Amino acid sequence: MGIEISQVSKRFGDFLALDGIDLNIPNGELTALLGPSGSGKTTLLRIIAGLDTPDTGSIRFFGEDATRKRARDRKVGFVFQHYALFKHMTIFENVAFGLRVRPRALRPEKATIREKVEKLLDMVQLRGMARRFPSELSGGQKQRVALARALAVEPKVLLLDEPFGALDARVRQELRRWLRYLHDEIHITSVFVTHDQEEALEVADRIVILNKGKIEQSGTPEDVYDNPANPFVYGFLGNVNLFHARKELTPNGGEIFIRPHDISLSARDDSGKGIPVRVTTHRILGNRVRVELETREGENIEANIERKDWNALQDADLSALYCQILQGKIHAPDNTWSNYVI
Amino acid sequence: MSAAPGHTLEPRWLKPVLITIALLFLAVFILLPLVTIFSQALSVNLQDYLAAALGYEGATPELPPLFASLGEGTSVYRAALSDAEVRAAIRLTLLTALICVPLNTFFGVLLAWAVARFEFRGKNFLVSLIELPFAISPVIAGLIFILIFGASGWLNMIPFGTQADGSTLTLYQWMDARNLKVVFAVPGIVLATLFVTFPFVARELIPLMQEMGKDDEEAALTLGASGWQLFFRVTLPNIKWGLLYGVILTNARAIGEFGAVAVVSGNVRGETTTMPLYIEILYGEYQFATAFAVASLLTLIALVTLVVKAVIEYLLQKQRTG
Ligand SMILES: Nc1ncnc2c1ncn2[C@@H]1O[C@H](COP(=O)(O)OP(=O)(O)OP(=O)(O)O)[C@@H](O)[C@H]1O
Ligand SMILES: [Mg+2]
Repeated sequence: MGIEISQVSKRFGDFLALDGIDLNIPNGELTALLGPSGSGKTTLLRIIAGLDTPDTGSIRFFGEDATRKRARDRKVGFVFQHYALFKHMTIFENVAFGLRVRPRALRPEKATIREKVEKLLDMVQLRGMARRFPSELSGGQKQRVALARALAVEPKVLLLDEPFGALDARVRQELRRWLRYLHDEIHITSVFVTHDQEEALEVADRIVILNKGKIEQSGTPEDVYDNPANPFVYGFLGNVNLFHARKELTPNGGEIFIRPHDISLSARDDSGKGIPVRVTTHRILGNRVRVELETREGENIEANIERKDWNALQDADLSALYCQILQGKIHAPDNTWSNYVI
Repeated sequence: MSAAPGHTLEPRWLKPVLITIALLFLAVFILLPLVTIFSQALSVNLQDYLAAALGYEGATPELPPLFASLGEGTSVYRAALSDAEVRAAIRLTLLTALICVPLNTFFGVLLAWAVARFEFRGKNFLVSLIELPFAISPVIAGLIFILIFGASGWLNMIPFGTQADGSTLTLYQWMDARNLKVVFAVPGIVLATLFVTFPFVARELIPLMQEMGKDDEEAALTLGASGWQLFFRVTLPNIKWGLLYGVILTNARAIGEFGAVAVVSGNVRGETTTMPLYIEILYGEYQFATAFAVASLLTLIALVTLVVKAVIEYLLQKQRTG
């Protein structure tokens, strides 16, 4: 087992930021901590790094108790959202920092340091930048330097706090794929914080969903996406349409969750199970189209259909369409889920 | 109709008028006194010097001050510097600065670190306390030390053994018997100067360190740096110009402080007179020549400080803008 967190709580004044967190982070995997703003992701990550101390609970690294260990002795690499590069040092010196501050007996030779730094700069594709200063790099380059710097000390655990949060959408996507690729190469036990569910689903081996200082669910991306433990997780992992379930489905009341992707539109009701709707607005998002619909009862439904399906409706009367629900889930008041059968 | 960029709604004449007023004010109240000190120092001395050299008593031809300063400049200072009391004053001033500047630099950094990096109860109170030496009159700062260490101060109320006749011996009496004096002696001067110059470094560093944030230092920590490595390799390079700026201001004030030092000095000539105090004594005794010579020396230090300060400000600016 990689990192074992048990019963960790943290209070800031009257505010309970972490509430009895129990979590195991498997060795060699890339785990995403996902949750809305203020849910305690950064706090948990800082406690793992030893930058903050938990009020209660313990942390074990690879079977060894690390709760009382100082940050500098934990052998963790930490990557900050805003890079935290040393502005007065060159890229080379930044990456070499962790090796240079070692006690004399453990400090590598100058030539060894040079070799190692160059190898790392190669790895993050910044070979030619060694002599530049951080202010001369783009955000994406800075974050790769930060990663190289963290990896230089050969940490046992790599922690990343919204590493791509300050970057624009394109660079963000590029870098997260690159991170996944890098992780496949070096297999270091990693935890990265994000509030972007798409990022978590794309990159992580496991996703841990945090809300208000508690873990709502943890599992593989497919697992949490297909079998969300509760309405919060369902809603947090993507847009969702919510309907009150009819009495025939759940006698005690309950809710139906349907993702916009799981709705299709047609001009005629061939199956006989379609719901008559009219289009209120639509928005073309590249190869997909977001359509807002209204039922006869006045309920609003959001659908997200493919562009070609939308184009096929070109000649239809947009105020008299039918929507089919492809799949959905019913959440009963006793917190059990069932499939919505149409 | 469109206004030129940067041209706002003020009337056109406002800018030149304001600038002229500002410049005139600067010339009359700052530049003029400065020039006067130097020209006085040089010309008065030169006249004395000439009088002595030529054997005249009194009436020597009046030299235009600025012209006079061009000629025999250095000899004037040589004369002043050869005076034992002047030299003692310079020595004491430098000694005071030499003790106060490193101490206040050290404690200033310590305090700024504590305030910028940690949350604790009473932090706001501490921050306003740092400003106290600026807020109260220097005379009162001096009086505080008299109240503590003086013959009728607290020190004279602390029992410290018994005297030969059986009455209690106070700490003050005990120290007095061993000739350990605080007020009306060098320690008092150093203490008073420490007090009035305390805020400069801390005040300069606190906003700088707050702006810098904790991230860099935490990154260094996770990379295995020790506390010293963290300070010298990460924090210090980030705050060095601000720190130097604070040190320069501390030094300037330590050298120039009059009020607080005047109260605790007791003006023992050649022993407890700093340069500013000595200038005042000389002036009171109508020894204008020496007074102006010492004054111009002090002013020279101030001017050098000003230049160094300007350079550092420039570098600080450059560092901030990347
Ligand atoms: N040093 C602190 N002092 C007081 N409150 C804090 C401190 N650090 C965090 N908190 C509070 O704890 C809660 C959790 O904060 P945390 O930074 O862990 O959230 P987060 O999940 O990382 O959010 P974000 O996505 O916005 O970064 C927040 O409500 C925050 O206000
Ligand atoms: Mg955060």
